[in-house]
Amino acid sequence: MNLILIFISAAIINNYVLVSFLGICPFIGVSKKLGSAVSMGMATTFVMTITAALAWLLNKYILVGLHLEFLQIVSFILVIASVVQLVEMFIKKVSQPLYEALGIFLPLITTNCAILGLALFLVMKQYNFIESIFFGFGSGVGFTLALIIMAGIREELELADVPEPFKGAPITLIVASCLALAFMGFSGII
Amino acid sequence: MNKSLKLVVVLTVTALFSGIILAVLNAYTAPRIELNANKTLSEAIGYVIPGQKTCDVKVIKDVTFYIGKDDKGQVIGVAFVAEGDGFQSRLRILVGMDPEMTKIVQMKILSQAETPGLGTKIENDPTNKTDAFWFLKQFVDLSAVSPISVVKGQTADKSKSQIQAITGATISSRAVVDIVNAAIEKNRALYLEKVK
Amino acid sequence: MAKSKISVTQEFLKGLWNENPILRMVLGICPTLAVTTSAINGVTMGLAVIFTLVMSSFIISLLRKLIPNEVRIATFIIIIATFVTVADRVLAAFYPEMSKALGPFVPLIVVNCIVFARQEAFASKNPVGRSVVDALGMSVGFTLVLLVMGSLRELIGNGTIFSHQIMPMSFQPWMAIALQPGAFLTLGLLIGFANWLNTKGKKK
Repeated sequence: MNLILIFISAAIINNYVLVSFLGICPFIGVSKKLGSAVSMGMATTFVMTITAALAWLLNKYILVGLHLEFLQIVSFILVIASVVQLVEMFIKKVSQPLYEALGIFLPLITTNCAILGLALFLVMKQYNFIESIFFGFGSGVGFTLALIIMAGIREELELADVPEPFKGAPITLIVASCLALAFMGFSGII
Repeated sequence: MNKSLKLVVVLTVTALFSGIILAVLNAYTAPRIELNANKTLSEAIGYVIPGQKTCDVKVIKDVTFYIGKDDKGQVIGVAFVAEGDGFQSRLRILVGMDPEMTKIVQMKILSQAETPGLGTKIENDPTNKTDAFWFLKQFVDLSAVSPISVVKGQTADKSKSQIQAITGATISSRAVVDIVNAAIEKNRALYLEKVK
Repeated sequence: MAKSKISVTQEFLKGLWNENPILRMVLGICPTLAVTTSAINGVTMGLAVIFTLVMSSFIISLLRKLIPNEVRIATFIIIIATFVTVADRVLAAFYPEMSKALGPFVPLIVVNCIVFARQEAFASKNPVGRSVVDALGMSVGFTLVLLVMGSLRELIGNGTIFSHQIMPMSFQPWMAIALQPGAFLTLGLLIGFANWLNTKGKKK
């Protein structure tokens, strides 16, 4: 039961993008078209779930186990960069069509706060191994959800008459504020 | 120099330098960071168990109990950390109770990062001109025999273990109560079983 | 970007307005939204970024001829992460309250697009002096925006700036601005306003 709550919390109630403020760069950058939003979301969810597991193991057995907590930032980011690299190579080998769909988004994932934020959060919240995996998966779903909603709205926005200075990032952010307001309605449910 | 070798050397040297700088940093800052944490904690323990002269630390099944004794060695209070998720941050509250764990003597918030001006009122409410610390004061001498409950908009009945929520920060208020209730229930069983 | 040819003063000033990382290049948005709940929080984050960016640019520019192309990303990451850890630990040791308020967003400076982009685009290709000036300009520009946003949100959400009461006591603060929707809204309006100012300037 607790695991379901963690999942729902990360996906909806404390939505990864709209409440925890993580993954904003791709949220603004990749949400123009519904198709790319879905692809980016799936790629990110996949990497997040794997990273959650690895980050937890790394933290427990090496960082805390050997009293090397001060290497947390350096080791986490290196692990993430490596994971993304390996995932990219793996997908390329295993399925060319999948690579065509998701592959280009993977390098974008390394240098955005979404994945590192995930690793840091799960250490801060002191989740155990299974809880971390559910948290990673839930965060990915929440991220994808926010991205898809935003892409849907932006595709409609293309046809609207937005004043010139507000085209692009500003109007996206203002739309995001409405979404964040809506999502606030979920808080306090659990 | 052979290309591959050069790559490896550059990476290793960089990593080594990084490691050395961070290890030195750690040696310099870690003691202070721990001191900050400890200082806050020992001050807080003195606050939630008033009149204590010495403090024993007892760990029962991963819960740390701070047992306050007076100058005659009599146990005058028990304190423990209650932790949980608030509205937007992790709440850590030090709860001080009487030796039988029937009522809360005093509470202190160790850490919170709730919404400024709203959730932060659980610790300090500058908009209340009479007493900025009114929220926590409600827990002083509050009976914990039955779970504490939160009321909104009406006056709380202390004899029924009720406390009033902060207007506009109901979630933070409720979180404090839920976290404290859960901790008391869990820790009371652990403590009374082991000590008696 | 090839070796920079503009004057040193222009190098610094471009980070403040023309190429302001937040307002014009839309980089580093995550921390901007998260830590600008008050002016002091915004400024502290800005200072952490100034430290990280200037030190990283300094070192990377100094070593630019020694770092082979294939491993440059990994090397940059290690160097940036080292300075971020320094900033984070120093904050935790000497300003624990601020460290808790900023939370995971100080460690997240390591993936802040601004820092990495400046190494890739500038510090790895330009001499040390210029790289440091570029880093200063960019990070000060970033800090200024954080200061403005933090002050605005604190003023309207709490009536104070840097914890000094500015608004009269009868002022009813608008809570939502200190929360998530307010962050998105303020930033969106600021960037839109900056765009408008920019086009207005160009028309003259």
